[in-house]
Amino acid sequence: MKWNHSTLINSFLLVVMLCTFWSCQDDDVIVDRNYELVWEDNFAGLAGKAPDATKWAYDIGIGPGNDGWGNQELQFYTNRPENAALDGNGNLAITARSESYSGRAFTSARLNTKGIFAQAYGRFEARIKMPWGPGIWPAFWMLGANIDQVPWPQCGEIDIMEYRGQEPNLIHGSVHGPGYSGGAAITKSYGFTNDRFDVDFHVFAVEWGKDFIDYYVDDVLYQRLKPEDTPGEWVYNQPFFIILNVAVGGNFVGFPTPQTPFPQTMLVDYIKVYKEVN
Amino acid sequence: MQHLKHKIATLVLFASTALITVLSCKRDIDGLAPATFPTTPEVFIDGFSAGLNYAAFGGSKVTAFDVDAEVKYKGTASMKFAVPDAGDPQGAYAGGGYLTTVGRDLSGYDALTFWAKASKAATIDVVGFGNDFGESKYQVTLRGVKVNSNWQKFIIPIPDPSKLKQERGMFFYSEGPENELGYTFWIDDLKFEKLGTIAHPKPAILDGQDQVFSVETDQKLNIGGLKVAFNLPTGIDQSVEATPAYFSFSSSNPAVASVSDAGVVSVVDAGKAVITAKVGELNALGSMTLNSSGKAVGPETPAPTPTIKADSVISLFSNAYNNVTVDTWNTGWQFSTAQTIDVKIAGNDAKRYRSLNFVGIEFSSKTINASAMTNFHLDIWTPDPTDLPKTFKVQLVDFGANGTFGGGDDSSHEIAVTRPTLVSKEWVSINIPLSRFTGLNRRGNLAQLVLSGDLPNVYLDNVYFYIAPKEVPVGPTVAAPPPTRSAANVTSIFSDAYNNAAGTDFNPNWGQATKVTQLPIAGNNTLRYENLNYQGTQFGSNLNVSSMTHLHLDFWSKNSSNLNVFIISPGPVEKAVALTVPTNGWGSVDIPLSDFSPVALNDLIQFKFEGNGDIYLDNIYFYKNPPAATEPTTAAPTPTYAAANVISVFSDAYTNVAGSDLNPNWGQATQVSEVKVAGNNTLVYSGLNYQGLQLGSDQNVSGMTQLHLDFWTANSTELKVSLISPGPAEKAYTLKVPTSGWTSIDIPLKEFTPTVDLNKVFQFKFEGNGKIYFDNILFHK
Repeated sequence: MKWNHSTLINSFLLVVMLCTFWSCQDDDVIVDRNYELVWEDNFAGLAGKAPDATKWAYDIGIGPGNDGWGNQELQFYTNRPENAALDGNGNLAITARSESYSGRAFTSARLNTKGIFAQAYGRFEARIKMPWGPGIWPAFWMLGANIDQVPWPQCGEIDIMEYRGQEPNLIHGSVHGPGYSGGAAITKSYGFTNDRFDVDFHVFAVEWGKDFIDYYVDDVLYQRLKPEDTPGEWVYNQPFFIILNVAVGGNFVGFPTPQTPFPQTMLVDYIKVYKEVN
Repeated sequence: MQHLKHKIATLVLFASTALITVLSCKRDIDGLAPATFPTTPEVFIDGFSAGLNYAAFGGSKVTAFDVDAEVKYKGTASMKFAVPDAGDPQGAYAGGGYLTTVGRDLSGYDALTFWAKASKAATIDVVGFGNDFGESKYQVTLRGVKVNSNWQKFIIPIPDPSKLKQERGMFFYSEGPENELGYTFWIDDLKFEKLGTIAHPKPAILDGQDQVFSVETDQKLNIGGLKVAFNLPTGIDQSVEATPAYFSFSSSNPAVASVSDAGVVSVVDAGKAVITAKVGELNALGSMTLNSSGKAVGPETPAPTPTIKADSVISLFSNAYNNVTVDTWNTGWQFSTAQTIDVKIAGNDAKRYRSLNFVGIEFSSKTINASAMTNFHLDIWTPDPTDLPKTFKVQLVDFGANGTFGGGDDSSHEIAVTRPTLVSKEWVSINIPLSRFTGLNRRGNLAQLVLSGDLPNVYLDNVYFYIAPKEVPVGPTVAAPPPTRSAANVTSIFSDAYNNAAGTDFNPNWGQATKVTQLPIAGNNTLRYENLNYQGTQFGSNLNVSSMTHLHLDFWSKNSSNLNVFIISPGPVEKAVALTVPTNGWGSVDIPLSDFSPVALNDLIQFKFEGNGDIYLDNIYFYKNPPAATEPTTAAPTPTYAAANVISVFSDAYTNVAGSDLNPNWGQATQVSEVKVAGNNTLVYSGLNYQGLQLGSDQNVSGMTQLHLDFWTANSTELKVSLISPGPAEKAYTLKVPTSGWTSIDIPLKEFTPTVDLNKVFQFKFEGNGKIYFDNILFHK
């Protein structure tokens, strides 16, 4: 399959949160690229079934450092269908729950393709409907496949989509690398003035090639990163694997409040990965 | 810029369509064009928007609202609200509404928004829109708006904008003092907006709960708790209250319960129905399940009218008395499911309780002093089963000396009522002596009555305290006087003193209401008729009393005002004789049998009593008077004095003074003879005028103390005895005649001294009339 892409930039929809490097000249025009589908999951199946085990692995618990996955997140990740399962309508449902479990007050799930599928470059996209509420932190992101040999942040991290439940009209695209990780990551936000990401599905994507990463919401390119945009080493010319998760609490999003409605579910209609063809 | 172009193109297309539509309307159907209303979103930006008016709520401080050009979020002015201090004579709170003269079409917006700040952190009670000072059909209310000294934006979502085609109520507010202190808050940039950033509406009825109600036909219930929650742009849910007009209600079974557009449920028959609702296409959380038992079962007649005098009563509820103030007949305490309904039963007021598990009845605002009362009364009627161990419980609560709840001086006591007092489907009068409320330390400040138990359905009437009337003795405390007539002259029906006629049935079933019992009174068996209307007595066999002359009755009644006795012979032939009631103690009557004519006295079969009240009867017998005796049939009692202490004149028991002349000739008319009575020699005077007795020798009786005589007479009406000593010196002593059998008398000799010389008694003399028998004439000591 070919992915034919011809989008112009809708600069008037951009909410400029951080750096405003985007007012450049020749970058305004996106060249068409031809893509071919190489990996996908449409999450077909009966409600309550676990996602395809040939495509997904689970991260379980509170992180290798017992520190909430490096972010002081509050949830315990499980592989139970209560936290990750097909919804019977062609979606993967990752559900954060308020329940006492293994010493934590919340449960949720984090799925990855580590050791199953990784790729350098191409188009990585997912169609997602967000959960909501203060302290809810869903994400669609990638880590360098060499992370076991080259620790984070040297391995690199590409965040295709992050979202704070208390700002349901905003999403964020970032890269974390050596010298610019955590709170110093390179980030740009995209938002709606009169809509939200939790009422309908939207497509979140990066188009990634040698020495560039383009960030998209639906058909809108809102961020292009190049090596000169990062204060440290550009570590994105190697294969990355995919992660989907819903965190509760943590450094990025803040604590949930008594007003946060639970349970909260992120619905993923599909994930597709393409490689560019000429 | 292709996207932008496309959007603009779309707008233009829409605009041209609208234009064409308007033009074609005007051309085709002139005058029938739907009225259009302005879509103006602004309410107050820097001043009143077009057509906007302000009106203060009743009771509020009318000057609380003003336009403020000093403090503002944006532009040149804001709305300022000065909340008064508590007790402000100009008004207790700030409140009012902003409405337009012409309605606006707000269907293109999704929220009313504003910015607000306050002079201090506070919580505004109520803000909202849709209050048009009239029907306020589409009112939306947001409660508890937390403001502080920073400007913040607030959002009141519109539950269903499509409803607001012609809305006049743009905004309203109400806020009272905080901790009794007034303060100021400001609102600016008040306008309707199409935000697009409020999401996930969740409508709810009954606050989102699935509630189940036990109901009955004709009951009406309001569906409350109408709310719609929206997720705000901050990710948190906020709930607003909405009027029923935003909701569409439906019943799963309209044959059991219907529901109106206003959210009022009407129960029409027995069965089950579930009421649910929608806002637009969204199902509301919560449901009302109705289990209807159908038509209520209740009493057809009122409770018995109380008979206690009003001045002995403190009444809480009765048509028979003036009632004291009762604050509530249902305090609605937590966990109480009881519902109270005022009903009329044949015109008589009663309280009806449904789903009664327990209910508080409170009169604490004016407590009841029942110290002088002795009893508590209430009438109840229940359709529910009353088999054991079902109970109905009555608790009285006194608030103690301080007259208010708590304070350590409250006391209470609960009494459980069970079968046989409790009866299903009848009025039950419950009278409880207050002394039985032993846990009630005092009753000077009674404040609560609590009813509970196992009867979910209770009708209540005549609830009052009263002073019980003084106890009247319910019956005689002494036995009827014992009869003295000889059994030989008596035919007895009911008496301990005689052998009664055999086989008598004292309670034959003649359909009477009278209750018949036999009970011992002072050890004497007595017949009792309670609540007499009439009462028969069936003899074991026909009685022939033709030889009898009288009917004797002993009877006793405190409360009878009418009593007749009948004797009956076959036919039936009967005749009544009235008895005097009520009686003062036992009444005895001897009724000549001739009074019962024409009853056949030789063939009696029955007695009958008619009348009223409670009657006690004893010694019911027929009798005849014995034939008059003309001579004694028994000997005079034989004296038992020792012979040594006796000087005997005439006696078979002793040696008599020798040589006495029993009939000296003193010129008397009296006939003297001696006869044997039962073998005993007896002196007889017939036709007495006077009669002497000459002793054989002078007798010195000064050593004796008494003169003894036995005498018997059926017809003498005058009799005297005299002792005589020489001179003659004599003195008479009167004897009581006629006698009933033998009379024995011992006359002290000093009755005859000093006239008579006891050293020389030589004669006796008897004066009087009639025929007299004498024996055992002797002196003794």
